[in-house]
Amino acid sequence: MNLFAQIMHLLHKEITLEWRQRYAISGILLYVLSTVFIVYISFQNISPQVWNVLFWVIMLFASVNAVMKSFVQESGYRQLYYFQLLHPIAILLSKMIYNALLLLVLGVLTYVALSFVAGNPVQEAGSFALALFLGSTGFSITFTFVSAIAAKADNSSTLMAILSFPVVIPILLLLVNLSAHSIGLLGGTDIGDKIMLLGAVDLILVALGLVLFPFLWRD
Amino acid sequence: MKYWWKILGVLLLTYTFVFGLLTPLKTGITGATPYSLKAGQTQVVTVTGYNSFFTKEKEKLRAWLKSGNDLALAAKSIEVVDDRTAKLTFDLPAHLPTNSKVKDFTLLIDSPADGASILPGGISITQDSVNQALGSQLWSQSPIAELHEKQAITFPFRNILGETIRNTYYHVPMWMAMFIIFIGAVTFSIKYLAKGEADFDRKAMALTNVGLMLGLLGLVTGAIWAKHTWGKYWSWDVKQNMTAIAMLIYGAYFVLRASFDDPEKKARVSAVFNIFAFASLVPLIYIIPKLTDSLHPGAGGNIAFGSEDLDNTMRMVFYPAIIGWALLGLWIGQVILRSARLRDRLLDT
Repeated sequence: MNLFAQIMHLLHKEITLEWRQRYAISGILLYVLSTVFIVYISFQNISPQVWNVLFWVIMLFASVNAVMKSFVQESGYRQLYYFQLLHPIAILLSKMIYNALLLLVLGVLTYVALSFVAGNPVQEAGSFALALFLGSTGFSITFTFVSAIAAKADNSSTLMAILSFPVVIPILLLLVNLSAHSIGLLGGTDIGDKIMLLGAVDLILVALGLVLFPFLWRD
Repeated sequence: MKYWWKILGVLLLTYTFVFGLLTPLKTGITGATPYSLKAGQTQVVTVTGYNSFFTKEKEKLRAWLKSGNDLALAAKSIEVVDDRTAKLTFDLPAHLPTNSKVKDFTLLIDSPADGASILPGGISITQDSVNQALGSQLWSQSPIAELHEKQAITFPFRNILGETIRNTYYHVPMWMAMFIIFIGAVTFSIKYLAKGEADFDRKAMALTNVGLMLGLLGLVTGAIWAKHTWGKYWSWDVKQNMTAIAMLIYGAYFVLRASFDDPEKKARVSAVFNIFAFASLVPLIYIIPKLTDSLHPGAGGNIAFGSEDLDNTMRMVFYPAIIGWALLGLWIGQVILRSARLRDRLLDT
């Protein structure tokens, strides 16, 4: 099997598993809904500026919870099985793509839920969609790789937060700026270089992940 | 001489401390009262000098109010009170070289003993009627000529910085030394992944430790400097925030190390994380601060180092300070490395 076919197989497996069990996606969905509701009852009146920050903070915590399971919850035996069959890059890339898709769905859900209770301040749908896409890719890349690191340790859920939050802050800052632009808070500024920078950070992290994962993988 | 670099490091730092702390600042002007004058009147301005010697050759003391390079008005008479205080009398013309009611002027004092010193935008003058052509003519009667240079080794005087300009030899070089040390640590992490020898991991750990220490020192010296110049220890400046995050990342490196029992696994995973963290540190410290406004020099319209903030006398201390701090860091790293080697040997037997 070549690399591409391996990735497609693994993706198919992830999605099938998710579809059969459905507890992960429904758990995350409930998590997002209850967070949005808690935020709504504690804030009541949400200004566009606060909306923007809240959206990304909810996304951040939901993403960590959603992605954490990707390596941490794989059993040791199944890892061994993969190790004999597949190229490590195929495993990492398939997880990253699957998580990016999952986070995109999560982002859209958060957006719908938050708009439902707190109003929809987004003025430029195109640039907000771009921010959502770049955000879910960036979160997925960082969190997937960090979860691969944290899975090697014993107290992995604590480590996951400690290791990933500082690393993800640059991406988060750029995202908040980008979506503030689409809400109309930063009118007239140029977002071209921020999009470029976000894309560049994502690319660097993917490249590093691909180079480093084979070292992390063998036990 | 096996330990020449340790001696060099100590000598460079001693030189930095002695030369950097003992060299006096150039003469400066810290204040002028009253700072708001009225056109068309004869007014007396009391000037407070810093490191100044007004009483030396006081008959040769000269003063101007200037705007740009061409427009200037010389003081009619100067009365020296003491070395630090002088009273300047200006015969202000009725019109200013401007279209508006108010204009800011720079105060310039020149003396053979102290050289020329300025108070940028320190005096503002109000006028009743506007006549720019006449004003320009009135203000070009007494041009500035034959300024003196102070003949001594001094550091520049900057109005807000004052004596804190010496922190340039501690805050900034510590940062650069930190970066050099972190690059070294990443190199050893890469070497560990390539070769798998436990000593490379110990070296990477020791250097990361030192880098974290230098980073914290840089943060503290920066905060103290910020208290004096910006008014607060922490001003939510973008570079301060990014740096705090960078310190969190490296703190996480040590938490990660502590959570493994198996030394081989610990070395491998922490080497991987170190490389990953370093790659995210570069946009954090060098790219994002450039995109946003910052209070630091070189961002948001502030003057960068290398233009007029860092003159040649300061360079003579600044560059040795970088090398000195890096060498001292290397030395501390070597001590940490040795103790780590001993601990591992004890645990093995």
